[in-house]
Amino acid sequence: MENTYDLSTVPSYIPKILKALPVTAEILIFSLLFGLLLGALVTMGALGKNKMVRIISNGYISFMRGIPTLVLIFLLYLGLPQLMVGIGIDLSAITKTKYIIACLSLGSSANMAEMMRASYLAVDKGQREAAYSVGMKGFTAFRRIILPQAVGIAIPTLGNNIIMLFKETSLAFTVGVIDLLGKARAISSASYGTNRLEVYIATGIVFWIICILMEYISKAVEKVYTKGRKQATS
Amino acid sequence: MINLGFILESTPAIIKAIPITLLMAFSSAIIGWILGLGIALIRKANIAIVAQVCAVFVSFMRGVPMVILLYIAYYALPILIYNYGLSIGVEIDVNAVPPVIYAISALLLDQAAYSSEIFRSALSAVDEGQMEAAYSVGMTKTQALVRIIFPQAFAIAIPNLGGLFLGLVKGTSLAYYVGVYEITATANLLAMPALNFIESYIMTTIVYEVISFIINKLFRYSENRLKRFRAGMTV
Repeated sequence: MENTYDLSTVPSYIPKILKALPVTAEILIFSLLFGLLLGALVTMGALGKNKMVRIISNGYISFMRGIPTLVLIFLLYLGLPQLMVGIGIDLSAITKTKYIIACLSLGSSANMAEMMRASYLAVDKGQREAAYSVGMKGFTAFRRIILPQAVGIAIPTLGNNIIMLFKETSLAFTVGVIDLLGKARAISSASYGTNRLEVYIATGIVFWIICILMEYISKAVEKVYTKGRKQATS
Repeated sequence: MINLGFILESTPAIIKAIPITLLMAFSSAIIGWILGLGIALIRKANIAIVAQVCAVFVSFMRGVPMVILLYIAYYALPILIYNYGLSIGVEIDVNAVPPVIYAISALLLDQAAYSSEIFRSALSAVDEGQMEAAYSVGMTKTQALVRIIFPQAFAIAIPNLGGLFLGLVKGTSLAYYVGVYEITATANLLAMPALNFIESYIMTTIVYEVISFIINKLFRYSENRLKRFRAGMTV
């Protein structure tokens, strides 16, 4: 039985696995939104004037960068409800998908914050001074001069971060969400695991193709966005 | 609420699992990075066909999540090993192969792909003039690469390699799925009988945080040490 595999059946599993794409897309989009939001807050804290907030923000970033996503999922999904029951809060109403979105948002927010900080600092200091010199106030200078340039610098890293986040959504099956990999496992166990290798290869191909598409889009966006702005950064 | 007795009792078991995590991380980093450097050189020299195969390999590894790579390695390698055994006339008992071998195989291929990208950009970042200068004093191509280009490229690559290695240590937690009893799997196993999940995952988190902290410090230190190789080119 160990030896029975037929690679020619791989393509036939791809459409079946793709049926679970909406679930993965939902997880990806919400984690991305919350991750960016949380990342922006942390970046503001890390670059802000308040020393205490700075320490907390930097501590948060290095904590989140040090913990494996899988451990974070176990900690939140299995550990947190126990802790909350202890103080009389029932968390059983929260769906599995929400847990995964929470974990992935927290995990990616550190990467997002690092990205935002690096691109903010990469904008030439003279740009802010120039904005002030033509009479712009702090926030206007940030919104109209610094932010557009920082976004241009951040696009390639953002593309990479989104791809990483997409790959991490594959951990959703850990808590039993039927995402791309969850679906693959369901297909494989429906036939008692005899076709597991083919199914996993098919899932790998699905992820690969989507990643290539994402990379392509990221490059295209970068090209469109930085067009005509190059003079400003160089 | 939090069972302190359980934490004290199971700490030794979790600490005992650290070496297997580190074994996976170091062995796949060492072999993977050497392969990665090879891939980077092949792609830089643009050797026909081999370079294209490498490019597809890198793209695949970067596009497929680690969990799936681990599963593919876990289910495909035994078949390959068994068939190879038959072809040389030995019946190998694939069930005797420890799962950590499969985990390391998947991790090291992943490292090869990611590190090759880091090495490639680091090699391109070294000034062209350095190679010409090395030739001008009569060095051969190998000498120029080993003595002049590699040290500078390595100094450029170190911060990114640090990030990659940290990701690798975190990635070893996924070896749990193919039955390797590293830190995460051990914590899970300890938690099961009395459902002490919160305690065991807090401990796991602390262990990973400490390892990450030490790795960060080590790479920061070597980054500073290697700065001398960058001194000449920062002008």
